Amino acid sequence: MAIGCSLAADPAWLVRRDNGARRSMSGIEFRDDHPEWSQWMAAAQEGDTDAYRRLLHAIAPLLRRVAARRLQGASAADVEDVVQEVLLSVHAVRHTYDPARPFVPWLMAIERHRLGDWIRRARRRANEIAVDSLEEAAADHAARTDDEQAFDGRAVQAAVAGLPKAQRTALELLKLKEMSLKEAAAQTGMTETALKVATHRGMKTLRRLFGKDAG
Amino acid sequence: MVDTDTVIERLARSAQPVRRLPSPGRRVLRWLSMGLPVIGLFGIIMGARPDLGTKLSEPAFVVPFVAAFATAVFAAHAAFASSVPGTPRWWLWLPAPPFALWVGSLGRQCWQDWLRLGADGIVFELDFACLPTIAIVGAVPAIAMVMMVRRGAPLMPRLTAFFGALAAAALAYVGLRLVHLEDAALMVLVWQFGAVALLATVSGAFGRGLFASRC
Repeated sequence: MAIGCSLAADPAWLVRRDNGARRSMSGIEFRDDHPEWSQWMAAAQEGDTDAYRRLLHAIAPLLRRVAARRLQGASAADVEDVVQEVLLSVHAVRHTYDPARPFVPWLMAIERHRLGDWIRRARRRANEIAVDSLEEAAADHAARTDDEQAFDGRAVQAAVAGLPKAQRTALELLKLKEMSLKEAAAQTGMTETALKVATHRGMKTLRRLFGKDAG
Repeated sequence: MVDTDTVIERLARSAQPVRRLPSPGRRVLRWLSMGLPVIGLFGIIMGARPDLGTKLSEPAFVVPFVAAFATAVFAAHAAFASSVPGTPRWWLWLPAPPFALWVGSLGRQCWQDWLRLGADGIVFELDFACLPTIAIVGAVPAIAMVMMVRRGAPLMPRLTAFFGALAAAALAYVGLRLVHLEDAALMVLVWQFGAVALLATVSGAFGRGLFASRC
């Protein structure tokens, strides 16, 4: 996966323009005069679910545009993944928004943070895959073929796909997407305890399946 | 993968009213209202240094004293501001001038002692009491800081923890200067200021575990 950006080296995320609009360093332009967003968030802080729903639907396209522009080369699913993570973060820290201040810089600071996390995770995964591939190649070079390695990948996918839905969802969110329990609970509607139990059972099943094969 | 509209619907349905985070300035005042009485109590219990009246008229005492207090105030503000998304970055530089004045005034006194007394005249002894004293006196401001800062967004947890610990330790230093008779510049710089710097740096390293929510 090619990730063509570095947020850490991007201190000036926002650049004010003469016409009062702002643009990110990636070139996305957006207005920072969305008074209705600020009002909806203020209402959401008071518990107005309709205003909150309107706000989240209104900001999602902006989050999507910024993420797509920043994560050049990432798939649409990855972009949507980031959008959902930002929405979860907005939800978790919505009490930090001060309606006396503009809304968009608050929102963009959260998205920048989540994008930074996502990019770091993607690089780490890419490194792990590279290291794993090297080690495997050294160990199995003579014995294994590409077809066999591809079969292993498919076998893991098939095993995960064969798990009960709760276990599959818990593994995907907690292990693959590295969400916190709180975030995964908010996304799935499951309790944190239920997620822990589902993860434990899913891992146990996978270990049993592949442990036997390995032994 | 759950689609974004579903995530939005779940988040909107689970939106409870939230207690809005006060501005960083208000939180600094609240923090001082908890920390200053402790410093005052420490002064009453330990007894103010007998020459305090004279010392308060000496620039060599007053300048680092006031600079340390200003560092505590601005570092507390930076700690709170760093956990609010969208806060302008320049707020985080506010502790730098008083901090530089504090270190600079202590360094200048060391240099003047060196010029006046030479190497043999510089007093340097082991005084390990400063670190635990500053840690103990700063404990209540530090605990108050942790409890207050935990409600923010963990955008820069290490920096937030560093500023928070710096604020608490600088306030403890202010209290220590009111009761402790140590005036040798090098001793103050190494043991008292050194304790502040050590506590702030160590706390910064453990910043990730500080926050209640994840952003």
